[in-house]
Amino acid sequence: MSEANRGAWGVVPPQGNGMSDITERIEGEFKAAGVTGWLHAVDVDTGREVSVGADGPVVLASVFKVPLLVAFHRQAASGRLDPSEQVVLRAEDRTAGPTGVSGMLDDVRMSLRDLTFLMITVSDNAAADLVLDRVGRDAVNATSAALDLPNTVVEDSGRELHESLLADAGAATFGEVWARLDEPGVRERLRVLDPLRTSRSTPREMTRLLSLIWRDEAAPAEGCAAMRRLFGLQVWPHRLSSGFPYDDVLVSGKTGTLPTLRNEVGVVEYPDGGRYAVAVFTRSLLPIAVLPQADAVIGTAARLAVETLRVP
Amino acid sequence: MNVVGHLRCFVMVAEELHFGRAAERLGMAQPPLSQRIKRLERELGVRLFDRSSRKVELTAPGRLLLDEARDILTRVDRVYSVAERARLGESRAVRAGVPSDLGGPIVAALIAAFRARRPDLRLDLREAGTAEQVRALAEGALDAAVVRHPCDARDLELGPMLGRPLGVLLPAGSGLAASPEVHLADLAGRDLVLPPRAEAPGAHDELLAACRRHGYAPGAVHEARHPGFALGLVLAGTAVALVPRADDTAGTAWRPLVGEPLAWRTSCAWRRARDPEHARAIADFTAVATAVLRREAGMTPLDAAPARRIVPRPSSGFLA
Repeated sequence: MSEANRGAWGVVPPQGNGMSDITERIEGEFKAAGVTGWLHAVDVDTGREVSVGADGPVVLASVFKVPLLVAFHRQAASGRLDPSEQVVLRAEDRTAGPTGVSGMLDDVRMSLRDLTFLMITVSDNAAADLVLDRVGRDAVNATSAALDLPNTVVEDSGRELHESLLADAGAATFGEVWARLDEPGVRERLRVLDPLRTSRSTPREMTRLLSLIWRDEAAPAEGCAAMRRLFGLQVWPHRLSSGFPYDDVLVSGKTGTLPTLRNEVGVVEYPDGGRYAVAVFTRSLLPIAVLPQADAVIGTAARLAVETLRVP
Repeated sequence: MNVVGHLRCFVMVAEELHFGRAAERLGMAQPPLSQRIKRLERELGVRLFDRSSRKVELTAPGRLLLDEARDILTRVDRVYSVAERARLGESRAVRAGVPSDLGGPIVAALIAAFRARRPDLRLDLREAGTAEQVRALAEGALDAAVVRHPCDARDLELGPMLGRPLGVLLPAGSGLAASPEVHLADLAGRDLVLPPRAEAPGAHDELLAACRRHGYAPGAVHEARHPGFALGLVLAGTAVALVPRADDTAGTAWRPLVGEPLAWRTSCAWRRARDPEHARAIADFTAVATAVLRREAGMTPLDAAPARRIVPRPSSGFLA
């Protein structure tokens, strides 16, 4: 981070009643949606922030693809990998998932950077695991450490998460894991839901990482621009994006989903130049897979936070 | 050094991130508070806060230690509360919570059965919603509870899961009361009265989701803290209630729902007690409570969770 920006981060206005009020309103929205939520929102350029449990340890789920993408672009910039290298994903050993290459039936040949396109825009697990394999888990964690994100750790690949989820639940399929969540003790047994035993971060560190990407500080400017493009092309409309139904506002993000966990981190950009990094992590009480109110509250909470930050 | 006192200062500053406000909340002046934090940092050999002229921030070690410190303070508070209970002779009691709509005869049967099993112990029973009971268990203010699922049962032990199907309470003159069973979808167009959501948000949300799934989306949901108020709304024809089997009283009729689509799921919950004598007391209460709920409240054990059919969609699929 440059000295100039370090200065900008130091400018935090005194947090009076307005801030405790917004915290209560956001917590009220979480409660009404039947979730426990953790949120951090920060003005990328001034450092003004809204925080609801922003330092709590949270499970990344697919949000782990964000630090992975950053490490990928740093390696590309340093010449350690060639983003246009063609690789083949064999049909027979593919990481499970509902989208992208994960759901395809035949061998796929594609460049590494196109795999990152699928990994971010549709959360493709097969693509992400190949990229993770190429970049290296240690390199991802070393990158997080170098960017001053001490609590951001990638522990597992998508394949390992899938295997541990099925093993812990004693289930044969992902649908069966959902069906068994109601049984006493099952939720507590699932390592993938425990931030101390799986890939983890904090909302504050995720908005810091996004801010670095948006300020061209996470990697060289070209790489940061490529990353921003991918987050802007993410297809999901139901979470962060749903909170900002405005044609002139750009919402870029990356979701994360595991049974009862719904996350999204992203950046909201207004035409007046205002840009706000937001990270929302939730955990629902109901063991129900399709829970639109739990998805939508991510957008609602983010909008409340961003609107607060936009008041001068 | 008084580590606990220093940790209390640390947690307060960490919460406020402002020495002046933290001092105010602690009822002390700012300079001694700053000295205490410095002393604690010397004692632990790590810096807890980054202080600049503009703001105070937790360091990475500070963040790590914050949860530990909170944990210690909670435990210390419990030492005092246990000591106080012992002083007052209350350790010879089991403090248990039950849902407020359990019904008089069931509460009476529960107390009688516990008296018969443990005449040496006092049963300190209070009515509370599930959310409040779970909180009280965590804080050590309750020993055992009768909770409605789903609820946040992390760190809790659970007894057998019991199910109690719900039917609909209608005004006796209603056309629907003429049939022996009612389809949930037939209630369309009628308002619904339920216990307040805050008492058991998980069960409340689950019930409403199941209603919608089976074709009944109530136009308005009235919250009734007291069953008498719910009864009033039913009698007036303002709303219908979804309740366990009830005798037809003057003016109302209870009808089962076709296919039993709705049920309360209830179990005992408690925190594991270290003291074996206390653990035995809790086990006696939960055994008695489970037996009474089965015998008197018509609850039946759900050996496994009801088989739910779940078709994952891409947006809620694995690692979406």
